[in-house]
Amino acid sequence: MSKLLEKEKLLPWLEQLAGERVLIAPTRVEELTLFAPVKDATEIVLDYENTALSPKEWLFPSTEVLFTIARKDSTPELVEKTIAERYVIFGIRPCDAKGIAALDLPFLSEPADSLYAQRRAQTALIGMSCLKPAPQCFCAAMGSAPNDASNVDIMLTEVEEGYLVEVVTEKGQGLLEGVELKEVDIEPPPCPDTAAVPAEGITEVLTRVFNDPFWARLADRCIHCNICAYVCPTCYCFDIRDYTAKGNTERIRTWESCQSPGFTRIAGGYDPRASKESRLRQRFYHKLCYFPEQFSGPLGCSGCGRCVVHCPVNIDIREVITRAQEIGREASAASG
Amino acid sequence: MPQAAEQGSPFVPKLATMRGAADLTPDIKLFSFELDDPAAEFDYKPGQFAFVSAFGVGEGPFGLCSVAYRKERLEFAIRRVGTVTNALHRLEPGAKVGLRGPFGNYFPLEDYRGKNIVIIGGGIGMAPLRPVINTLLDHRADYGHILIINGARSPADLVFQPEFETWTKASHTTLELTVDRGDEAWTGRVALVPQVVAELHPSPENSVAIICGPPIMIRFTLQGLKALDFANEQIVTTLEGKMKCGLGKCARCNVGDKYICQDGPVFNFEQISSFIEQF
Amino acid sequence: MSEDFAQQIREKARELLEKGEVTCVIGYETGTDGRTARPAFIYDAADADRLVFDNTCTHNLAKYLLNKKGQPTAVVVKACDARALNLLLGEKQIKREEFFAIGVVCPGVVESGWMRQGETLQLRCQGCTEHTPPLYDFLVGEPAEEPAPEPSYEDVAEIEGMELEGRTEFWAKQFERCIRCYGCRQVCPGCFCIDCFAELLDPEWVGIRIAPPEKQMWNLIRAFHLTGRCIGCRECERVCPVNIPLSLLNRKMEKEVLRLFGFKAGMSPEALMPLATYSKEDKLGIGE
Repeated sequence: MSKLLEKEKLLPWLEQLAGERVLIAPTRVEELTLFAPVKDATEIVLDYENTALSPKEWLFPSTEVLFTIARKDSTPELVEKTIAERYVIFGIRPCDAKGIAALDLPFLSEPADSLYAQRRAQTALIGMSCLKPAPQCFCAAMGSAPNDASNVDIMLTEVEEGYLVEVVTEKGQGLLEGVELKEVDIEPPPCPDTAAVPAEGITEVLTRVFNDPFWARLADRCIHCNICAYVCPTCYCFDIRDYTAKGNTERIRTWESCQSPGFTRIAGGYDPRASKESRLRQRFYHKLCYFPEQFSGPLGCSGCGRCVVHCPVNIDIREVITRAQEIGREASAASG
Repeated sequence: MPQAAEQGSPFVPKLATMRGAADLTPDIKLFSFELDDPAAEFDYKPGQFAFVSAFGVGEGPFGLCSVAYRKERLEFAIRRVGTVTNALHRLEPGAKVGLRGPFGNYFPLEDYRGKNIVIIGGGIGMAPLRPVINTLLDHRADYGHILIINGARSPADLVFQPEFETWTKASHTTLELTVDRGDEAWTGRVALVPQVVAELHPSPENSVAIICGPPIMIRFTLQGLKALDFANEQIVTTLEGKMKCGLGKCARCNVGDKYICQDGPVFNFEQISSFIEQF
Repeated sequence: MSEDFAQQIREKARELLEKGEVTCVIGYETGTDGRTARPAFIYDAADADRLVFDNTCTHNLAKYLLNKKGQPTAVVVKACDARALNLLLGEKQIKREEFFAIGVVCPGVVESGWMRQGETLQLRCQGCTEHTPPLYDFLVGEPAEEPAPEPSYEDVAEIEGMELEGRTEFWAKQFERCIRCYGCRQVCPGCFCIDCFAELLDPEWVGIRIAPPEKQMWNLIRAFHLTGRCIGCRECERVCPVNIPLSLLNRKMEKEVLRLFGFKAGMSPEALMPLATYSKEDKLGIGE
């Protein structure tokens, strides 16, 4: 027996939540589907494969004030930010929820990033499982699945009669207070397939193919923008700078990407990753090798495929993984 | 890794007051800071670094060059080279800065007891080596011969000149200075650091070499030490990289899978040669 | 036709590589979706068969020559891309003797993206009246008689027709989506500064916040820096992950430059950029 939320009850429930928390849901903006704060449930779109940008910006904003330095007489006073709002993100796909679970690793590891920790604790995730993945999706190869409920508080699965409701956490249970769910005997739809990508053992393989000319050839067409990193649900590199206005200084953090020229350049000019090849290789190595090693955990990629769709020059992480595995096998064969 | 006790955001520094800024060379000053809140005092060891904030301008990582157990003020030798360092150089005594630290690992000096120590520094590279030297000299009897090779571009650029007398006078300790080019008053050695290493040919037997300086100096000094049969594990250095957080979170300072702020900055060359990525 | 073009390009690439005249041929190959093109770098004559030419060959490959300085390189260019070659030559970023331009009389490319091959020609192609590249060493396709170019700026006129408040609101809404990914800048052949003004710390012109005021400044100043230099490939707009109609800004500036200076960027390598040049004939707008 499972729980069902009838179709016509969905939007009223979300509007009720919007009265208590900031509701973030998929909306239509100029032919794009983007997560945005929603007051009126009619703004919410339900027919989408996935949003153009990931929802990571609600936990890790593209720009955020770390703390303020207020000047009182000649002594500065450092004022930390507190996050007052509570959020609920509706319609998050399993790949993006996995992305948030991945971001937890650097941001919540000691010493925890207090801003991220507050947002994380104060955000509830209502997932929507994927009935029909897009051609770029490969979440299963990255350890998740179109119906993976492990990283959300509630997982909804659309069926003809409404939405099957899987309550995953206590936080999720709390969101459903006062909501009438029916007990039904409906089988969830079979989990669809996603693109096969040979990711098994990729971390170990990468440690052996670091110096292969493949990386330089791949970097030839990379234009070193930040698109892949910014649309990605698991990329988290950031920059920090001070800004002063009217005597008060804000130390702010913004997204940055290892692809930008100058990412690793120090004052004086020395740059250990000056070459295109080294910068491009760094992104794949960070996600697929260093990240899982640093946190003894999952790959830093959840298979959402946004980078595949948005890269202006078709640098495709699935192709990279496949090729790296091939090179790894050739290298093993060669050394006997 | 020993880290500062955290309450709240690990990005928020502790307030400190600049108590002194002594000119060491035309572009290097030795800063000393006092934490405003005595409860914020932290322990640290040679090799570790801290972030110093010039509020309104930015924050940078600098090696601590004072010695914690001496109960000295927190000292940093900082070269004026970019926006943050220029801002620090403009500060007057009494100015407020932010301090976050300590970060990183440290030189395992206790493991080197009973050994001969060769310390090789170039220019501002002497900064993290100074607390090493002072700690060793404070525990003189625990170590064998200490050879210090201190090089710079010119005589005016030699770092820590006020301490040369103390270092020279220490027992069983040799201080060798060298410059790339001399001036009218200079009567000392004019040679590149790796050349001095070759000339003095310290023995690798029961020795450890600790080197720090510009990448090119490290590269050639390393070659020179290998030529003298120093093994990779016997040569130790401290790496620098562009850093923003110091916490292993901004994913910028890595050399391969090693983060300079977490796994370093102190590494020996056996470790460095097995890095997946060239430094 | 596209198969024939591809054949010619492959043969030329093979010839150039086998003779050692170039070390690399930059062209197009089919990407991982099996149907749309992506840039290809061919170093070996044996790989020349990877090269294609079809209506998804939208990328402007001219800018890649900046990564090949000192190495003789061939590059496949459509007419719009060849204007970028003239721009880079005129601004002394590439040397004529270091590249071999394989020009293509391109019939136009469609709106495309990964797994998306549209049927309508891109707007820039619909309005194109100069299909023959202004610069080439080898031409694929036949130059055809074309009517004198009469540029149409309907899309720009629509924005110009709005009241100031409407325009302000329109652009504020567009730039709100901007994430400062710099895709527009990185793909643009006119943007090649080693340190972009938008990221400088000292002096700090804009600041790095990804917030509305900075995003407006970033996009508007970039449009100014391209004034009189933009060659109209509209790659900036294609790559924008949040569909900001960037080319409207560039085309507005293009229209003004045409009106004030009678100048169109990228038509010849010797042409001097109006905003970077002073000539006695310049109108000062005073007492005229």
